[in-house]
Amino acid sequence: MIQPPDDAPAATAPAVELSGIWKRFPGVVANAGAHLSVRAGTVHAVLGENGAGKSTLMNVLSGVYRPDEGEVRIDGVVHHFRSPSDALAAGVGMVHQEFRLVPSFTVAENVVLGAAEPIVRRQAVESAVADLAERFGLATEPDRPVWQLSMGERQRVEILKALWRDARILILDEPTAVLTPGEADELGRILRHMADDDRTVVFISHKLHEVTGFCDEATVLRGGETVAASLPVSETDSSALAGLMVGSAPVISQRPPPVVAGGPKLEVVGLGCLDDRGLQALHGVDLTVHAGEIVGIAGVAGNGQRELAQAIAGLRPTTGGTVHMDGMDLTAATPRQRFGAGLGYIPEDRMGVGLAPRLSVTDNAILRTYSTHRRGPFLDHEAAVAHCRDLVERFAVRTGPLDQPIAGLSGGNLQRLLVGRELSGRPRVVVAAQPTRGLDVQGVKAIQDLLVAERGAGVAILLISEDLDELLTLTDRLLVMHGGRVVAEFDPELAGRHEIGEAMVGHRPAGAASA
Amino acid sequence: MRWPVLARRDRVLRGGQPLAFGVGLVVALVVGVFLLVGSGHDPLRVYARMFDASLGDPRAWSVTLNRAVPLGLAGLAVAVAGSMGLWNIGAEGQIMAGAIGAAWVARIGGGWPGPVLVTAMLAAAVVGGGLLALGPAIARARIGVNEIITTLMLNEVAIRLVQWLIHGRWKDPGSHNFPLAPMLPDNGRLPTLFERAHVGVVLAGIVIALFGLAVSRTAWGYELRVAGSSGATARYAGISLKRKILTVLVLSGGVAGFAGGVELSGNADRITEGLSNGFGFAGIIVAALALMRPSGVAAVALLFGAVQIGGQSIQTMGVSSSVSTILQALILFGAIAAGVLGRYRIQMVAGETVETPSAGAES
Repeated sequence: MIQPPDDAPAATAPAVELSGIWKRFPGVVANAGAHLSVRAGTVHAVLGENGAGKSTLMNVLSGVYRPDEGEVRIDGVVHHFRSPSDALAAGVGMVHQEFRLVPSFTVAENVVLGAAEPIVRRQAVESAVADLAERFGLATEPDRPVWQLSMGERQRVEILKALWRDARILILDEPTAVLTPGEADELGRILRHMADDDRTVVFISHKLHEVTGFCDEATVLRGGETVAASLPVSETDSSALAGLMVGSAPVISQRPPPVVAGGPKLEVVGLGCLDDRGLQALHGVDLTVHAGEIVGIAGVAGNGQRELAQAIAGLRPTTGGTVHMDGMDLTAATPRQRFGAGLGYIPEDRMGVGLAPRLSVTDNAILRTYSTHRRGPFLDHEAAVAHCRDLVERFAVRTGPLDQPIAGLSGGNLQRLLVGRELSGRPRVVVAAQPTRGLDVQGVKAIQDLLVAERGAGVAILLISEDLDELLTLTDRLLVMHGGRVVAEFDPELAGRHEIGEAMVGHRPAGAASA
Repeated sequence: MRWPVLARRDRVLRGGQPLAFGVGLVVALVVGVFLLVGSGHDPLRVYARMFDASLGDPRAWSVTLNRAVPLGLAGLAVAVAGSMGLWNIGAEGQIMAGAIGAAWVARIGGGWPGPVLVTAMLAAAVVGGGLLALGPAIARARIGVNEIITTLMLNEVAIRLVQWLIHGRWKDPGSHNFPLAPMLPDNGRLPTLFERAHVGVVLAGIVIALFGLAVSRTAWGYELRVAGSSGATARYAGISLKRKILTVLVLSGGVAGFAGGVELSGNADRITEGLSNGFGFAGIIVAALALMRPSGVAAVALLFGAVQIGGQSIQTMGVSSSVSTILQALILFGAIAAGVLGRYRIQMVAGETVETPSAGAES
């Protein structure tokens, strides 16, 4: 691109301009020519599903990553950030999802940490921090130690840190993920306040009501590319944004031929549970999956899908309701009892829940069945290796030596091994949470084909996915979750994306059956 | 500008640890030459003496083996907990607690036949070590109290307990009011194997082999390794973490206690506050060098023991104890540093920033 000769920022230059950003990681293209343009003094939302490339793009903007290709302009000037401090020097500050605070330090100490003069005069700093907080409407007590603060208050400290370092462009990476709804509303007011003060805010989220609530413009990423740039929020609505996020890409797998569904296999009644923060995540979920049926769960991330899968698998304590399989009450059963009863579970987190990263391929292959591969107290090593070899062959897992740690396998092969292991137990019910997320095209196809084959064999499958195309292609019935409830049910062959999008953002569509 | 950085190897170098120890030894001996010449000694003579005293003849071997016993058992205690991702920093205190248990049995069982008394002493040692670890184990399993802190702090408690006993009710009436426990009865001593080596060498070997087998080959050990790799995966596989944490930490304490019993019965005349002599802390290094694998602990302990015995022997040549300690430390540093190269390789990269996930994306 041709530079203006004097390098001077044009008066109308956007505060942030990223163009043609490519960033590749081994096996993954995170950004494929993404672009982003943010006007100064606005709150700009960057939207996209998990894996759409939002975080990578923001890491490029904040100097954490260097792009393979592409250009970063701040106020019209090209920058080559080599570190986050370079970016900060140019006025770009990032508020990370995980807070980087010293718990035993006070708010003021955390704010000035690393940016203060050698000698900190406590009272002067505290009053300076208080002034700054006052100016932006960030309610805080500078002399309180951080460990006493709520998540919302800690986030305000993170924002203050960036403001203290004179960041004019603030990036907030999914800032509301850790907040209660009230705190999220408060954050929205703060961000508006900052934009009115001529700061620029880049706000990453996948909660659409927040975007329509307090952002000026939105850029939508999908598959590492920008699919909609700088849409004025006033001219769009959350369903249109949801449609852009989930896309209308050509289907990968063929719609499976219809199978006559059998009797109910999995019956969930009034299920409730808490999330990791101790807030109610599920408010009485009812659903039934029949033999030979794939029931899909759609929804914007964070509406209870993850907790639902964990509660059915027995990995999250329930606060009410029942789970029955084939009429057998499994509500109080352990994860192992559930597996023994014929429940396969493909967890959302492959590494660290479904697989043990430091153990070998063989050790991971027998994770569910090791108690049957025994000779006295000893594991039957030959039987374990035979089982592993069988899985590797049947599910076409490409792997090195079976006694090497599993961490060396690619994402697609890890998932084949995991799915193969769950299916090899001849389950009657499979709960699959985001089974194809982050996989390449062949990997997606392989996993989808496996699920369809199980359906053909009469297995009841609950498929939780953020990929609406996948759900529309594979499922026999599609449920939509919002706010910890199943709010709508669709026939995927008849349903329109628009209605599904409406249901995902909590607008109950007329005529849709509520569960 | 090109800089060397460490990049993770795709797979751990096979035979990396023995190689690392060798490389570390060579590096340390080379650096040590400067140290010894600087302090006015002939490096070749000093090194020859170190070797002779530790591995030169059967007698030297017997001394080295005796030293390797508490090191290996303490290392095993740390490694057993470490296979599950737990840190038992309390082996030092658990050794003392084990010695207290064994010494108590020796006090009441003076008239018992030797094999009975020694067996009872060792069993009491296991119980003593396990008891000291029980509190941290319960606290960790029930309410998640960090076991590093609790086990570490109990070290001090165990040592004070020994002091209290030998200053008080266990004080030998015939010690002319010195704070000394009475000598062990002769039937409370482990039989000799050869030269100076006692039967504890064999016992330690058996215990280490059994644990090595248990962790790598049994269903119990498999559960341990899954839990050590990821707690969430263990829950997914239906493993009860609470029970596992409890048993593993208590077992770890029991192994350390066993080391105390063997050391008392095999190597010491009586229980003293210096009985453990830092073996519990050295055990952490032994376990780390064995990559937390119980099966690797024996070899590391033997080498560690040889380094300690060799290092001590040169003090009789006029080499100051600090120089000998520095030499020992150099060897361990070298081994630890070289061990890193088993898992990482050195790569030259351009520029100053280092990005973790993308190797080919630079330049």
